[in-house]
Amino acid sequence: MSVIISYFQRDSMVHRLNPLTKMIWSVVLMMLSFMVTNVYILAVLFLSIVLVAYLAKILKEMLPAFIGLLYFAAFFLLFQVFFIPDGKTLFVLIPGTHLLRVTDQGLLFSAAMGIRLMVIAASFPVLLGTTQVKDLVVMLVEKLKIPYAYAFMFITSIRFIPTFVQEMDLIIQAQCSRAHRLDKGNFIKKFLSICPLAIPLMITSVKKAEQMAISMETRGFGSGKRTYLHHDKFALKDWMICCSLFVLMVIGIFFNIKGFLG
Amino acid sequence: MIQVTDVSFQYPNGFTILEHISFQINRGEFVALIGQNGAGKTTLLKQFNGLLKPTSGNILIDQVNTKDSSTGELARKVGYLFQNPDHQIFLPTVEKEIGFGPANLHLSKDEVKERVREAAAEVGLTQYLNENPLFLSKGQRQRVAFASLLSMQPEVMVLDEPTTGQDYQEGIEIMEMVKELHQKGHTIVFVTHDMELVAEYAQRVIVLSEGRILIDDVCRKVFYQPELLKQTNLFPSQIARLVQKFPDYSKRFGQALTVRELYEQVLKMTESDFRCLL
Repeated sequence: MSVIISYFQRDSMVHRLNPLTKMIWSVVLMMLSFMVTNVYILAVLFLSIVLVAYLAKILKEMLPAFIGLLYFAAFFLLFQVFFIPDGKTLFVLIPGTHLLRVTDQGLLFSAAMGIRLMVIAASFPVLLGTTQVKDLVVMLVEKLKIPYAYAFMFITSIRFIPTFVQEMDLIIQAQCSRAHRLDKGNFIKKFLSICPLAIPLMITSVKKAEQMAISMETRGFGSGKRTYLHHDKFALKDWMICCSLFVLMVIGIFFNIKGFLG
Repeated sequence: MIQVTDVSFQYPNGFTILEHISFQINRGEFVALIGQNGAGKTTLLKQFNGLLKPTSGNILIDQVNTKDSSTGELARKVGYLFQNPDHQIFLPTVEKEIGFGPANLHLSKDEVKERVREAAAEVGLTQYLNENPLFLSKGQRQRVAFASLLSMQPEVMVLDEPTTGQDYQEGIEIMEMVKELHQKGHTIVFVTHDMELVAEYAQRVIVLSEGRILIDDVCRKVFYQPELLKQTNLFPSQIARLVQKFPDYSKRFGQALTVRELYEQVLKMTESDFRCLL
C-alpha cells in the first residue's frame, strides 16, 4: 500500500519536470492502453513506464509494485484464456477432450488484457513517486482552475491514510489488551468483531477532522484568493514532452478509427 | 513476575529501539519507568502483554514466554492502560464498556456484573454507569479506561502515562487508586514524565536512555544521581534538587524525596539544634 502512494526524493530529470507534464503522461498512457490492441505495442508501453521509473532513479522502490502487478496480470490471463474459443487451437489442457482449450487468438487477447491492466496501474505510482502531491494540487488549481477546496480535500484524504493506519494499530492493541479476539467464528461473528475497532476509529477520525477544521480556520483557510510560495514553470522540455505525447495520442486515435473502419 | 532477558526490539522499518535489556520485576513491586521521549518506554511496556514481541531475547510473564501466547491470553495476567482512552471506548454505556473485557474472558453474566460494579466503585464512576462514555469529560473517560482494566483483575498493571491530560487533583486521585491497588498486592509498572509522581509513589525506578537501561535502583538512589539523569534529559524531583543544593545538609540528615520527608527532617533538625542551645 505505502509504495503506491509515497513520494521518493531524488534528483532526476523526471522529478524536475512540471507536475502537469507527468500527469498528462500518465493520462495519455492510460488512454493509449485502451486504444491499442496489439500485445507488442502494449508491452512497449509498459516497458516505457519501467524506463521512466529508471530515469527517475526510483526503479528499486517501484519494483515490488511492478512485480505485484505482474502476478496480478498473470492471474487475469489464466482466468480469461480458456474462455475465448476463436482461432487456432494451440493445446488443450485436458488431452482427448475439448475442455480448457487454449487458442492463439485467445492467448494474444488475454495477454493484451493483462498487459493493459499493468499499463493502467503502473503509471500512477510512478507519477506519485516522482511528484509531491502538493505540487500536483497547486498545478491543478492554478493551471486547470480546479477549486482549491476540492484539491485540498483530495490532498488531505491521501495525507491521512498513514495516520489512520497508525490509529488503527493503536486501537487494535487497546482492544486486544482487553482480551478481544479478531479471528474467530463465522462470517457474522467476524463482522461483529470489527465493531470494537471500527467505532473508535470513526469517533477519533471525526474528532480529528473537527480539530483540523478549527486549526485551518484559525490560519485563514477560505478567506479569499490564495497565493502560492512555489511556481513550477512550464519549461521548453515540458512543452516538447507534452507535444510528443499529443502526437502519440493522435496516432493512436487515427489507427483506432482506421481499425474500426477497415 | 516479569523476567526480561537480553531483549532487543526492532521496528519493521529497521529502527532499533531497545538494545539488550535485562531486568526482573518481582511480585508486588511498584516500578516507575522514566526516560526522555523516544527512549523506548512505551515499546518496552507493550512487550509485557505481548502487543509487541521481542526481536531477540525473551520475556517471561509468570514463567510464560510472551512469544508462546497471545495478548488475549496474557490479558488475564497483565492489564494495560493506554494513553488515550478514545482508542478503546465504543459501547453505548459505561457499564457495558467496563464489562467488555471480562465478557471476553467468558465469565458468567453475574460475575461480569459484579466485576463492573466493583471496578466502577473503585474509580468513582458508580453514578455514571448508565451514561454514554463519549459524553463524559476526558478525565472521566480515562477513568472508564482504568475501570475496564480493573474489571479484568490482572495481577500486573501496566500504566502508560496514567495522569497525562488530567488536572493536578485528578492525577493525584488516580495515583492514590494505583497505590491502593499496590497495597492489595498488585504489581505496578507505570510510565510518566512527572518526577513528582515518581518521587511520591514509586519504590523502584528504571531509567531508560536510547534503548538501554541507564539506572535501575530504588527511587532515592536514582534521584540523587543528577549527572547521570541529565544524560537522558531528566531532572530529579524538586525536593531532591533543593536538597542537592545544600550538600552539607543532606550529609547530616539523609536524602529527602518528598515534601513530607523534608518537612520531617527539618523538624528533627530544628529540634536537635534547640537541644544544643539548651
